[in-house]
Amino acid sequence: MPPSKRKAGYNSDWVRLVPFLLFCLVFEIVPILFLIRGSVVDKTTSQLTLQHYLNLNHPLYLNSFLNSIKISGLTAIVGVLFGTFIGYAIYRWPSRRVQEILITLSDVTTNFAGAPLAFAFVVILGMNGVITQFFLQYFRYELYPTFSIYSFSGLTLAYIYFQLPLMVLLILPAFAGIKREWRESAQSLGANTFQFWRYIGVPVLMPSLIAGVTLLFANAFGAYATAYTLVEAKLSLVTLQIGYMIAGEVRKDPAIGMAMAVVSLIIMGLSIGIYQAATIRARRWSKS
Amino acid sequence: MAYLDLKNVTKVYSGVDVVHNFNLEIDKGSLVSFLGPSGCGKTTTLRMIAGFTKLDEGTIRLDGEDITTVSPNRRDIGMVFQAYALFPNMTVRGNVAFGLLMKKMPKREIDQRVDQVLEMVRLQDAAERFPHQLSGGQQQRIALARALAVLPRVLLLDEPLSALDAEVRVVLRGEIRRIQSELAITTVYVTHDQEEALSISDKVVVMNRGVIEQIGTPEEIYRTPQSHFVATFIGTANQFLGKVSGIDTVIGDHFNLLVDGMKGFVDGKQVVVLVRPETIHVESEQPKHDGWNSIPGEVETITFHGAVTRLGVNLHGQRVVADITVAHTKPISLNQKIWLLFPPDACQVMAVDERS
Amino acid sequence: MKNPQKPGQETNRKIRPAGWQIFTVALFLFYMLLPIVSTYIFSVATRWDRTILPEGYTLEFYIRAFQTSYFVTTLRNSLILSVATILVSLIVIVPTVYWVHTRLTGFKPLLDVLMILPFGIPTVVLALALVQVYNFPPLARSPILLIGAVVVYSMPFMYRPVSNAMQAIDALTLTEAGQSLGANVYQVLSKIIIPNILPGILSGSLLVFSTVFAEYTLTSLIVGAKFKTFPLLLVEYTRINGNIAAAFSVVSFTIAWLVSILILWVGTKGQDGAAETRQAR
Repeated sequence: MPPSKRKAGYNSDWVRLVPFLLFCLVFEIVPILFLIRGSVVDKTTSQLTLQHYLNLNHPLYLNSFLNSIKISGLTAIVGVLFGTFIGYAIYRWPSRRVQEILITLSDVTTNFAGAPLAFAFVVILGMNGVITQFFLQYFRYELYPTFSIYSFSGLTLAYIYFQLPLMVLLILPAFAGIKREWRESAQSLGANTFQFWRYIGVPVLMPSLIAGVTLLFANAFGAYATAYTLVEAKLSLVTLQIGYMIAGEVRKDPAIGMAMAVVSLIIMGLSIGIYQAATIRARRWSKS
Repeated sequence: MAYLDLKNVTKVYSGVDVVHNFNLEIDKGSLVSFLGPSGCGKTTTLRMIAGFTKLDEGTIRLDGEDITTVSPNRRDIGMVFQAYALFPNMTVRGNVAFGLLMKKMPKREIDQRVDQVLEMVRLQDAAERFPHQLSGGQQQRIALARALAVLPRVLLLDEPLSALDAEVRVVLRGEIRRIQSELAITTVYVTHDQEEALSISDKVVVMNRGVIEQIGTPEEIYRTPQSHFVATFIGTANQFLGKVSGIDTVIGDHFNLLVDGMKGFVDGKQVVVLVRPETIHVESEQPKHDGWNSIPGEVETITFHGAVTRLGVNLHGQRVVADITVAHTKPISLNQKIWLLFPPDACQVMAVDERS
Repeated sequence: MKNPQKPGQETNRKIRPAGWQIFTVALFLFYMLLPIVSTYIFSVATRWDRTILPEGYTLEFYIRAFQTSYFVTTLRNSLILSVATILVSLIVIVPTVYWVHTRLTGFKPLLDVLMILPFGIPTVVLALALVQVYNFPPLARSPILLIGAVVVYSMPFMYRPVSNAMQAIDALTLTEAGQSLGANVYQVLSKIIIPNILPGILSGSLLVFSTVFAEYTLTSLIVGAKFKTFPLLLVEYTRINGNIAAAFSVVSFTIAWLVSILILWVGTKGQDGAAETRQAR
């Protein structure tokens, strides 16, 4: 038996992994550890303290967390609901060609987040935007000043832009995993369409839906460029706050920024963790 | 009238008749197999009975009721698929109870029925497990239990054993037959495996390219095939070409064959005479049987199949197959000159079929 | 996922999509395309603040855009950053994936976790961590630090195609075949493995390219104006001159489309190659 198969995958060759592990350590793991340490240490006394976290209990920071969670949760739920629906419409489309085009389109648009997207939304929904004009001219309705693109609602619309296709891409394989035979079995056992979805379809889809909510939540929570371009100082978000601290625009103790960052990591970690668990469950069911 | 009655059932895909004028009467409580090669239309016909595929022409009646246009969830049929199709999000109990849940049976009765049915398939202990924790054979037994739990009027099985190992297949097909006859449930069984069909069916429907070639008991299908296709599809058959002469002789290129009274063949007509390998006797010296066909030839191949040894014999350039058992007296060797003997009633004569 | 619905399924087969499908997809397309199309039109519009359609068309803004002082510089910087990231990624990731697929299979779970990690770290957090730790010269706010950050950020995008390709060619068996014929490890890698996973490498590189080319957060927070890339220029102009910003957006979108098409094309070629390899065996 060749030696490479005998040793079950752990052997002295692990040395070869060192460059990669070193890279991860240097640019990823050590900095994050420093971050965690910095958030629980008092700079002057060098003693452990939770003071920095307690300092987060200030309207400015609480607001930013609230807003970030609100916008992430909102766009995640809207994204999952509508994305699932759109995904089903695409899944049941008879033409393979059209399906492929729509999938490619989703693939591209979900990566469009950032400044160009924010700017594009200003073009359509800004004070002189296309849609603003449209409402003005055809319905004699003035969107502004009750609505503004440079606000929470405006940013929500921009976030939904890249959340929807992400959900579409996520849910399509889940629909494909619903076997035709399950549907037919259920029918032969007397179930109508509603009963099939209620007892089998939706439960089987549920892990993917949960995966969708958590992934979209994490996606929105960590977004920076779109928010920076569109709302900057007008809306307080966690990522923006941390950004200010790095740029040194706020002459405050950086430890607060680190505390915020650690809390963000915990939130993100939970989301991604649930996402992974849900994905594994979804995959297991689609294989059976 | 028959319990399940298909009349002139036809299905067309892209201008081609995948099922053409299918007529069949199935008696209550019997097990009928649809047997044929891939693409012969057997699964399509089954799915039309189930209601998943719409008929283009014809009618289907079940217990006197016309179900041609009834939707599948109202036909009261049970279906077992090749791919088991157990619902992954439910336990075995949940799966088996599903049809009863749809019928809105009270919970206690549901539990009782589920236990009964699980006992029938001998998987009482698996009730709280999930499908992915079971083996293929176990999953298929649960699928069967699920289909039977509602006591359907008809049980339909679409190649239920194809995905399983050979040993499991043999055991399970016996189980299916046992349960089916115990419950006396009218059953249609689709398969491409002859052995399966012949071993468990009351009647076999042999199909080819969308039409029925023959309907009969397994014995009838095997012993008296009505068409060239059936004769060559079922088991192995040696084919001798020749011309009809009188009522008992077929004249071939190198030898003549004595056959049992032929009817309906004109003198000079081109026919093929079919002879099954197991009906051929082998002698190492010129035999003296009168009234039997005896033809000399040379042994080209000897293949040991366990219970039977298959000889490939060269008869004037044609390869003929003969099966001999261990009971055969003298050992045969390669290139040995032997005589093949078979009686006239082992010969089946039929017109040469251009289709197959 | 390339084949969401089996063709020829009788019960699902329709010639036309249902009304609600058309309606839903039409709305979806509208939402997706309107911002992009509007940006394209805006970049060639003379005046468009009072009407549904522009009052006039001009290429003036493109000319001015291409003439801005930093245009060429930023494009060049973006290109340098992308290429550098791709090179570093390849050097760090490809051999690692190879070892994990052949001799060090026990480390696969660790690798999987490390490749999920970047998704769990928001870019601002990564930037904060790096800037705080490496606040000494020569690393402080340097392009080197930026490249490190960007490689970490884009690791999963290089990893997935390369790992899939490595899996598809059964790298372990090929390695053993090569070794039995006398090749040493480096020869196996360079002459056997890499040529066969080229589509995966290409896909990964293109993905990294498009990701890095559009990257704003890490660049602006770690190096800022010292190493201005194209996205930074774009954001700058959103606050100065909208029309020119639109022209830059169009450039940004167009590059993204082109790279996506390239990725698709490489993807299909890769499938053919893998299929041939399997057949030949």
